[in-house]
Amino acid sequence: MNAVRIWLRRNLFRTPVDGVVTVVFGAISVFVVWRLVRFVLVTGRWDIVRVNLRLLMIGRFPAAHVPRLAVAIVVIAAWAGLIAGIIRARQVRAGRAGVYVGLSVARVRDLVDRFWLAGVVVVLLLALTSTPGPWITTGLALLAAVLGRLAGPLIGRLQLLAVGGAMLFIALGAVPIALFVYVVDGAGVTEWGGFLLNMFLALCSMVLCFPIGVLFALGRRSKLPLIRLVSTLYIELVRGAPLFVLLLLANSALQFFVPVDLAPSKPTRAIIVFTFFTGAYMAEIVRGGLQSVPRGQVEAAKALGLSPVRQTALVVLPQALRNVIPAQIGQLISLFKDTTLAGAAMSLFELLNVAGTLTSQPEFRGQLLSPETLAFAALLFWTVSYTMSRESQRVERKLGVGTR
Amino acid sequence: MTSTTAPEPDGTVFADATRAAGTGEAIIVLEGVHKFFDDFEALHDINLHVGRQEVMVVIGPSGSGKSTLIRCINRLEEHDRGRIVVDGTELTHDIRNIQEVRRETGMVFQSFNLFPHLSVLDNITLAPRNVRKLPKAKAEAEAMELLEHVRIPEQAKKYPGQLSGGQQQRVAIARALAMRPKVMLFDEPTSALDPEMINEVLDTMKDLASEGMTMIVVTHEMGFAREVADRVVFMAEGQIVEVGTPEHFFTDPREDRTKLFLSQIL
Repeated sequence: MNAVRIWLRRNLFRTPVDGVVTVVFGAISVFVVWRLVRFVLVTGRWDIVRVNLRLLMIGRFPAAHVPRLAVAIVVIAAWAGLIAGIIRARQVRAGRAGVYVGLSVARVRDLVDRFWLAGVVVVLLLALTSTPGPWITTGLALLAAVLGRLAGPLIGRLQLLAVGGAMLFIALGAVPIALFVYVVDGAGVTEWGGFLLNMFLALCSMVLCFPIGVLFALGRRSKLPLIRLVSTLYIELVRGAPLFVLLLLANSALQFFVPVDLAPSKPTRAIIVFTFFTGAYMAEIVRGGLQSVPRGQVEAAKALGLSPVRQTALVVLPQALRNVIPAQIGQLISLFKDTTLAGAAMSLFELLNVAGTLTSQPEFRGQLLSPETLAFAALLFWTVSYTMSRESQRVERKLGVGTR
Repeated sequence: MTSTTAPEPDGTVFADATRAAGTGEAIIVLEGVHKFFDDFEALHDINLHVGRQEVMVVIGPSGSGKSTLIRCINRLEEHDRGRIVVDGTELTHDIRNIQEVRRETGMVFQSFNLFPHLSVLDNITLAPRNVRKLPKAKAEAEAMELLEHVRIPEQAKKYPGQLSGGQQQRVAIARALAMRPKVMLFDEPTSALDPEMINEVLDTMKDLASEGMTMIVVTHEMGFAREVADRVVFMAEGQIVEVGTPEHFFTDPREDRTKLFLSQIL
């Protein structure tokens, strides 16, 4: 009791001003938290979310083909687990990580620390469902992830030759593409919607914008004037335009340049815009990383007789990319949230767009339910962004950024 | 590539910069080399022959062009006039010649310049695997031999950031040796080290010298120069002021500029 009093005095009431600040901001915090809890548990009418959960998550994805989606989710879970296992085993082999022995308390705590929010939200979503399908899918996905994680080290421990390594890489890369083809075979991307569409747009753009960013960052530092000019023009033009305008242009102005029946579908156009937009920002981030690598590193690589391409690929780029992980992940999180603009600019049926239309449904019209639908959308975006951010900090620690 | 001037009358046979010591056959030839940084003349009319298996120590005040001199030899700096020939290959704008010369010369830097994202073993095997095209297992076996040689085999799996300065510099020496160079260039290898670590690096360099490696060493370690060097080169203001054997140099320097410098540091 005495210890509590001392702590309070030290940290909250050291001077009269401290006391006033504590009381005022304490009162505000209590009020805000109380209103929030009341909204979530008492005043919020969450029926609108429960009834429309499917629309929010996958839009008008044809019901007949939902099983394909479930299969894709389970396989992706296994795939992610497998990759995590392979990476882990390779790190252990390189002496970068200790060997886990079974399931220890520390490891469970680590997993909880990383994925508690995602876990809570998934349970919440499952609680809102009225069919058994999502439960089964989630259960199978968890099982698949664990099995993949257990199988991963068996592959990771293999001493692969260059050819074997390349084949493994290609095989792992082919999995998501094959799944995409499998799902699209049932329902084309134009029929996708809801949070699924946000995730799809973001993931495609994330994967594609990275190589573009690296290429143009190197291009901007090239010794050849033409390459430098083209790179600089691209970066500065794209960074000078608002993303919303670019999306509007892609939506409406494309038919002036391309025959209508040749123009790509709207989701494809959105991905192209997101990719090149984020690519320009990525290029500047990577350029900053390239500049952060000391000159001595290139000199050492030159002195060893490495060719210019190998100097860049083996010595400069790995360090440059590692140094800017926080900025890169920040840009990707920003991209993920910006996918909502595709709803407003191109009337794609993504999560925010769905949330907006729900309040004009006959049974919910005129009841001022936007706070509920928007809060739900915000929760999903926050969950993914927060998890990404935490995972990036973990990668940073693993790679020893800042410690050299 | 034979010497062009007669032996010195006073018996200091290596006192001429264009007469190689070591086996007597020159492996590095510099003729009339000039180097400018904008308007500043960093090197002025350098003529120097370095013999096979010779150990040449370059001394001089800071800003005298010592580092620029050895950085021109593996084309980290480009000379503006004159010829530089390394083991029969002349440094021109031809990238193949430059690569050829760099493969045959190893360099050790003042600030180590180890690759922080690679383990000690990977630092050493990077060039052998990518330039000499050795298979991984063979490159790693060779790297372990070199680590034994510089007496830190137990550090192979660690990262540069986990090593002391002296250990890092010895890894840097091993990394350069892994390319089997014919010449080793040392650019103030002990200047960034804490005093207690200087000797472990100098000992490694002495081992190397006694095995017959051709070495050019820019250093302020006069003890090393006296003990190991075949010839000492004194530079000031981008020019070679005086060349001689260590005995000649430390007992009977000829030029006033040299006497002044030696009186300041000894």
